[in-house]
Amino acid sequence: MATYAMVLDYKNCINCKACEVACKEENGVLLGANYHRIWVGVNEIQGSYPDLSIASNAFYPSQCQHCDNAPCQEVCPTNATHYDENRVVQVDASKCILCSYCMVACPYDARYVDERTMTVDKCTFCSDTRLARGLKTTACQATCPTKVRIFGDISDPKSEISEILKTREYFTLKASFGTEPKLFYLK
Amino acid sequence: MKIEISRRRFLQGSVALSVVATGATVSLAQKSDNAFGNVPAYGITKTSKDGVEIPTLCEICVNKCAALARVENGVVTKLDPNPYFPKSKNMLCPRGNAGIQALYDPDRLKYPLIREGAKGSGRFKRVTWDEAYAYIAQKMVTILDEEKDNRSSFLFCAGEGIAEHTFKTFYQSFGSSNWLNHASLCLQTVTSAYSLTLGAYPFSDFENANYVIMAGANRAEAIVTPDTMDLFKRTQGRGAKLIYVDPIFTNTAAKADVWLAIKPGTDLAFVLALTYVTLEEKLYNIPYVKEHFQDFEVYQNHILGHQYTPEWAEKITGIPAKQIRTIARDFMRHAPKAIYYPGRRSTFAKSDFQLRRAMAIFQGLGGGIDTKGGLVFGKTLPLDEHEADSPMYANAQARAIRKKEDASKGEAGYADCAIVSGGGSWIGWRNRFLEGKMPYNVRGMFIYKHNPVLNMPNSAKTIEMLSKMDLVVAIDTMPSDTVMYADVVLPECTYLERTDPVKTFGGVEPAIAQRNKVIEPLFETKPVMDILKGLTQKLSKPLFEITKKHDEEVRASIEESSHEEVYAEFDLTKPFMHSQEELNAQAVAKYPGAAEILKQKGVYYPLMETMFEQRTLNEYQYYPENSKFYTVNGGRPKTASKKVECNLSTMADKGVDAMPTWKEEFAYHVPTDKFRLITGRHAQFTQSGTSNNAMLRDLIDENYIWINANVAKQKKIHFGDRIEVSSSAGKVFLKAYPTEKIGPNMVFFIHGFGSQSKGLSLAYQSGANDNAVIEDIIEPVYGASVMHETNVELRKV
Repeated sequence: MATYAMVLDYKNCINCKACEVACKEENGVLLGANYHRIWVGVNEIQGSYPDLSIASNAFYPSQCQHCDNAPCQEVCPTNATHYDENRVVQVDASKCILCSYCMVACPYDARYVDERTMTVDKCTFCSDTRLARGLKTTACQATCPTKVRIFGDISDPKSEISEILKTREYFTLKASFGTEPKLFYLK
Repeated sequence: MKIEISRRRFLQGSVALSVVATGATVSLAQKSDNAFGNVPAYGITKTSKDGVEIPTLCEICVNKCAALARVENGVVTKLDPNPYFPKSKNMLCPRGNAGIQALYDPDRLKYPLIREGAKGSGRFKRVTWDEAYAYIAQKMVTILDEEKDNRSSFLFCAGEGIAEHTFKTFYQSFGSSNWLNHASLCLQTVTSAYSLTLGAYPFSDFENANYVIMAGANRAEAIVTPDTMDLFKRTQGRGAKLIYVDPIFTNTAAKADVWLAIKPGTDLAFVLALTYVTLEEKLYNIPYVKEHFQDFEVYQNHILGHQYTPEWAEKITGIPAKQIRTIARDFMRHAPKAIYYPGRRSTFAKSDFQLRRAMAIFQGLGGGIDTKGGLVFGKTLPLDEHEADSPMYANAQARAIRKKEDASKGEAGYADCAIVSGGGSWIGWRNRFLEGKMPYNVRGMFIYKHNPVLNMPNSAKTIEMLSKMDLVVAIDTMPSDTVMYADVVLPECTYLERTDPVKTFGGVEPAIAQRNKVIEPLFETKPVMDILKGLTQKLSKPLFEITKKHDEEVRASIEESSHEEVYAEFDLTKPFMHSQEELNAQAVAKYPGAAEILKQKGVYYPLMETMFEQRTLNEYQYYPENSKFYTVNGGRPKTASKKVECNLSTMADKGVDAMPTWKEEFAYHVPTDKFRLITGRHAQFTQSGTSNNAMLRDLIDENYIWINANVAKQKKIHFGDRIEVSSSAGKVFLKAYPTEKIGPNMVFFIHGFGSQSKGLSLAYQSGANDNAVIEDIIEPVYGASVMHETNVELRKV
């Protein structure tokens, strides 16, 4: 039993998309999907050449926030979306009827349709691949060139992630929605 | 809906394939020779519970990062970073992660092929290895006999890679003088300039530098390990201030503290002005300069005398004078923990050699050489090299270069550049061949892992050169645009299917690493070592007969001793008779246990077992701080004089400025209605080598041309509009991306797209090939290809 979460030192991100490829290779994610399990958010740059705002072009690596109060789980009529024993938000494909309520409910646009199974899919924190074979971290964390991510168990006060959350300032995305995301962005 | 096919199925297909009768015509343009039928072949599999991990080194780009290949039931399912390697520090970039797709690419070269249709038609006949070797041998015997055993009638060229050396060994024992590689298309000018000025091409200590100027090196997208990983954890208020200089706003600009939109090709003026401020205000490290500079006063007088003021530079570069002053002061205040980044890239402008010299000297003024936080030489763990004697051929001519016409009038240097170093100038060589200015006939060429059609300016001319050769032999993994013009194609296996020569990696934290075979080669592919073994076994004796026929001395020697004894000297098979594993073990024999550790862990350095330690999830210790090789030369440059060489008088004898000097012709000028074409790289593509990679194409499947947003508005160009880009070299078409990230009189698109090879079913004609429009402009010192001096016209079509 753990409560898995992720810290993102997002200022390190260079938008290389190594995380995206590692995720696809590890988890056999459908190629060609417009939205998938993991991505890097970029806003259109502000200003006009050559007076451009560097800050406006920041990169925000993202994926399912594994909210502690997940709207997707709340709206799912078949309990396909559920919390597993490690508080990771999961989709049971065998129960998914593709009503897509969860996709609409998710404020982070973290869900997409896997056209092979015609069910909704999303980030699993590599639960059924890497964690299942005893590894301690996700593919996106392991591969990242600039080491954006720290994955771990926030229910263990001695874990590295817990220590970081105690000592560093952070923010969560769309905090006002009350979703209580478990992806923490370091300031 | 896409149907996924598992890797297992791919392998099953490959087994079935290899029993298909030989002799059938194979068109690389058709999918007739893959076993997938109508099923889309590209797909990926989820990893499962059971598997083994084999350490290897990535070959998707030049960095050679350490990877662990996960193999499940004989199928490679995942590539993970190997934490043991200090160079790559437990990471794999998107391309490294996508390496599996190179292994399981249905378009890869599977069997030896001999051309059937016209050159470039893509019509080949599948043959056995023996037939391919016999065909090559017969053609070579004919050509060499007609050319009277002038071994230089064959050109050898290669792309970058660990096994390039193996191929070069073949070139050396064959006895040609014509060798060309990526150097003059790549980093020839930067490595040479730093070597002449500081004695070596140094590393940058980004873990400890506090101030960094990075100009024309887009390290967030053109990833170099460990530079990329070290630097971007520390920019934007976290330890290292990054001043980024680039005409376009890249991802590196997005991670910088200051972005300076310099006019293309004017970096030399920027550095000269930084130097001017440093000298005028006496900001430099006085003791360092006193002790470690050669001809400092001469250089000082040169810079001050030419009045390379910030105001002067502002007019040329577009960077405000005030900002130049601030940067010079800040740099010198942070020195020696300040780096003007040498970079690692192709040559953008004719001034490139002098630019690099000016950068190296500027770095020296701050004293940041061979010291923590500056440019460092680091240490290299030596390997035992296995050298074989090369035979001497009496009739082999010198390299096909030409001295300048009026050498008698004291004009030094060669027809296309001042100095011929390493391979010399690729485009100079190609153009001389096409213009009929060769000193003798060159009629055949061997190409290894190299794609000159796409990687060298003026693709049309390269195609013409390939078409005019009597025999073109290509060794490659993919049916590239160049392979399409080959007469014989020898399929190499990918990096995941072979053990390569063990390699040593110098630096602050030196290590030795080895690419180990992960799975057996698929189809009928082989490592280049085995290909050359088979080829030389077929070639060696018939070619010796030609030498005998045309070389009186050889005949005399045979009279004196015996045929057998003399042939032994000329035996081409010698370098390829040992297994790679055997050679690797010999190379590291001086390090006890290293050979075994390299097989098991992929990486070795002395005391690794005690020094290597995982500190946190993301941090590893390779060497303790006090064991790192920041300073190896007492802070001195590595030149023969042990000083920074400001004034290279020997270069002046060759017609090259002895000190970096600005010339009017370097100024940025674009005629009205034209645009300066800038090219570059990004993190998801390695030149043309990854153009057919299904996984990477999922991230970006074509290149777009960046056009300034205002200019696009005036020209009524919208996102996605089809644009014709033309120059005197040719024209290409690609889609528009209007953006504020680029200036009004320039356009940009990334390199590596626009393949015309029908053998590449994904890459074929997607996006545009920059080298189809880049003109063949030759850098004057080393003959490098100048990539950013072509002006193009745009037309919405």
